[in-house]
Amino acid sequence: MGKSSVHARPLVLLGCLLLIWWFVPPFIKSFVQVNFFELQAPAWSAASHLKDLQLYWSLRNHSQQELIEAGRDLARLNSAYELSRQKEAALNKEIEHLEKMLNLPPLPNYNYEVARVTRRDINQWWQQLVIRKGKDHGIIEGAPVVYAGGVVGRIQKVFKNTAIVELISSPNFRIAASFEGDRRPVIYQGVGTPAFSNPRGIIHNVPPDYTTESTPKRLVTSRLGGTFPEGLVLGQVDELKARSDGLFQEGKVSLPQNLMSLSEVAILIPLDEDVDTTI
Amino acid sequence: MKQIQIFKTDNPRLFLFYPIFFLLFCALIAGLAWRQIIQKESFESQEVLQSMRRILNPGTRGNIYDRNGKLLVGNRPVFSAVAYLGALKDDLRKEYYTCVKLAKQKHSKIDFNAVRKEARLNVLQRHLDTINSIIGRNEKIKLKDLERHFSQRLLLPFPLIQDLSPEEYARLTEQIPVDAPIQLFTDSARYYPYGPAAAHVLGYVGTTLNIPEDGVPGKELTTFSLRGKVGKAGMEAFFDEKLQGTSGGDVWKVDPVGYQFQHVAHKAASQGAPIITSIDIDLQLTAEKALGDHTGAVVVLDVNTGEVLTMVSHPTYDLNELTPFIPQATYEAINDKGAWLNRATQGLYPPGSPFKLITTIAGMKANLIDEHTITDCKGKHYVGNRAFHCDRRSGHGLLNVEESIAKSCNILFYQTSLDIGNMALAEQAREFGLGEPTGIEIPFESSHTLVPDSDWKQNKQLGKWMPGDTTNMSIGQGYLLSTPLQMACFMASLARGETRTYPTLIHAPENHTQSSRQKSSPIGLSQEQYQMLLNGMEKATLEGTARRATLSNVRIASKTGTSQAWYQGKRRNIAWHAGFAPADNPTIAIVVMVEETEDDNNYGGGRTTSPIAKKVLRKALLSKTSS
Repeated sequence: MGKSSVHARPLVLLGCLLLIWWFVPPFIKSFVQVNFFELQAPAWSAASHLKDLQLYWSLRNHSQQELIEAGRDLARLNSAYELSRQKEAALNKEIEHLEKMLNLPPLPNYNYEVARVTRRDINQWWQQLVIRKGKDHGIIEGAPVVYAGGVVGRIQKVFKNTAIVELISSPNFRIAASFEGDRRPVIYQGVGTPAFSNPRGIIHNVPPDYTTESTPKRLVTSRLGGTFPEGLVLGQVDELKARSDGLFQEGKVSLPQNLMSLSEVAILIPLDEDVDTTI
Repeated sequence: MKQIQIFKTDNPRLFLFYPIFFLLFCALIAGLAWRQIIQKESFESQEVLQSMRRILNPGTRGNIYDRNGKLLVGNRPVFSAVAYLGALKDDLRKEYYTCVKLAKQKHSKIDFNAVRKEARLNVLQRHLDTINSIIGRNEKIKLKDLERHFSQRLLLPFPLIQDLSPEEYARLTEQIPVDAPIQLFTDSARYYPYGPAAAHVLGYVGTTLNIPEDGVPGKELTTFSLRGKVGKAGMEAFFDEKLQGTSGGDVWKVDPVGYQFQHVAHKAASQGAPIITSIDIDLQLTAEKALGDHTGAVVVLDVNTGEVLTMVSHPTYDLNELTPFIPQATYEAINDKGAWLNRATQGLYPPGSPFKLITTIAGMKANLIDEHTITDCKGKHYVGNRAFHCDRRSGHGLLNVEESIAKSCNILFYQTSLDIGNMALAEQAREFGLGEPTGIEIPFESSHTLVPDSDWKQNKQLGKWMPGDTTNMSIGQGYLLSTPLQMACFMASLARGETRTYPTLIHAPENHTQSSRQKSSPIGLSQEQYQMLLNGMEKATLEGTARRATLSNVRIASKTGTSQAWYQGKRRNIAWHAGFAPADNPTIAIVVMVEETEDDNNYGGGRTTSPIAKKVLRKALLSKTSS
């Protein structure tokens, strides 16, 4: 008799806890739910810092020769980037001049905030990154997230010092896009990434006269959606297939492979909120 | 202890109940078996009928191309924002309770029906406001539309905004969550890249809820249909069956209220077959431009195949204004200017002087006209004591047959018709297909064209056929009625030296072998007689009434005409130009017809229609040469 009551004790305890939870006032429940992520955040943040430290020490072990080579490569890259920067500055000036001439409203401008990735939460249902910057750093919900290879995703939720990024491969991620050099909008949506395979997406509503002409076409963001600036790379469309209704084509999009192993991303924060982005 | 003994099993009073209970139990088992085994299928189908619904969606219509592969009719996407009511169930319930609570605070007696309507409107308007804020609109939901949707089309998405621009669509795509109850819906509408060009040939579509099932599963289920399209005029109507796509559909399990619950089956809709028309859109555009603001028609046929290269009817309308539906104001505007009428196939006109060619042929066949025939035109010809005038009141003087045709002198034809008689003339006209529909692939072709004769006049109780009727008929006047298309077919037949041309709007180059070309009975003239006719027509172009249609380096056979018709109590001229080219190896037959619409128009065949024909012929011959 005594033995069975010992066995039943955890179940009784669980039952009691559930009963207590049942009677807890709703505002406490809501508070706990909302702050559950915030409670976990410091642990993830600490783990991320430790990882950075680990990386730092592993980099310290590189030989002098390797460092010289890396420095040389970096110098080359810097000079290439400097050239691009100068070109971009000239182009921006020309855009400004044209905007003035044509009396056009200025394109929305963005500030960017670089953030380290602390955690990846990737499965069949959602594909998210947790980054180490949040409300305190000016991150806002819906802000575009990019990296050197193009679009990473969009800020889904913001906490005090962390934020969740919904990746472009997530089935819940859908934006207006266009083919490079063609401004007609098409619809891009993530489809999830099955285990051991590359991230992919799909495109809908491609005009029927568009062809990939045997070479893959780059899919870039469109300004029409109102979130992303124009021209950021999403991926590559290898093949288009006509839909049976003849109205549109659809196709698969290959996303950059390193999307799942990013360690640092940049969040684009609109600079001037008064810019009229309505159509 | 004694009480317990009452329930002893061997109590003899209980034996009576055993068979009763046994029988009742058997009845129960039998009933159960009846329902579970025998009536199983019936209940199952009843359950399916009660809990499943089917949505049919039409296939996209097929495209229509011109003979060179240019798109004449396509489909454009129509984007709309819709609300899936099944996904809003919880919102609607909560809003209903809130509205009831508020109503209770305000009134002692509550009209629950009104509260339900208010709750529905509040929820849907809230979602519409979200969309409004994203795209900067200020749309409102009409309670009447909403209630009609809830009562008749609950399973279908409720349209919030139906005409989103591609930019608005792009914005909403990005800013509405993937799993929201508000989603974007894409339908199709007909798209006409050339707007009003060939409007009467191509036709337009209307909407219908009568969609073919096309093998979508769930035939026995209650079915909701999305709006489909059905051809109402032109090729859209004639080839409706071919252009209609194959319907698709979805079968849904619904909850007791009728909201979508579970998706059971899906069949994708597919696009209808394409049609390649015989129309050459570049030539069509040239003809449309050449005809300009005139009220009239232009028909150009390929002499050898009977393919209609161009068919213009003015005034016209922009087909894009009739899609996705015809606004009342647009309908009335088109109606007021009389543009619904396809003048090429439905307009009934006296054919005028081009009919003289039929009189000539009939005269030649009766050996009344030959190369030695000379007519002395003094400006009029008496039939009994009634004078029938020539176009030139002062008279043309002595003319041979070729000159009579070239100068369109009436006297030869008056005399010839009186000599051969009305029946022979009518017979000759009918041989060329006048008086009966051509059978072109456009609905509503007029069946009231007329080649009159004495029997017809008697049947219509219009009195006895008089010689004056015959002379009128000989120059394409009187009771004669034909369409521009019929006259074009006559010209194509004449160009081939045959009697019939069956026009077609379908381009089928694979069928254009020698054996499948238009072939009918020979015209029945000797080579010399036929050449005389051609010479007359060529002379008309070079120095006669059709000289404004002359083109350098091309021999053109023409015949112009100016007939008269009464319209709303006023006499109006109908100007004609009919012909073919090149005269020595005909490939193109053309008819241009222009109606007078104002008192001061003063239209005439040579003046008005020949310059139009010249422009069209130049383009047509250039196209033929390049192809």
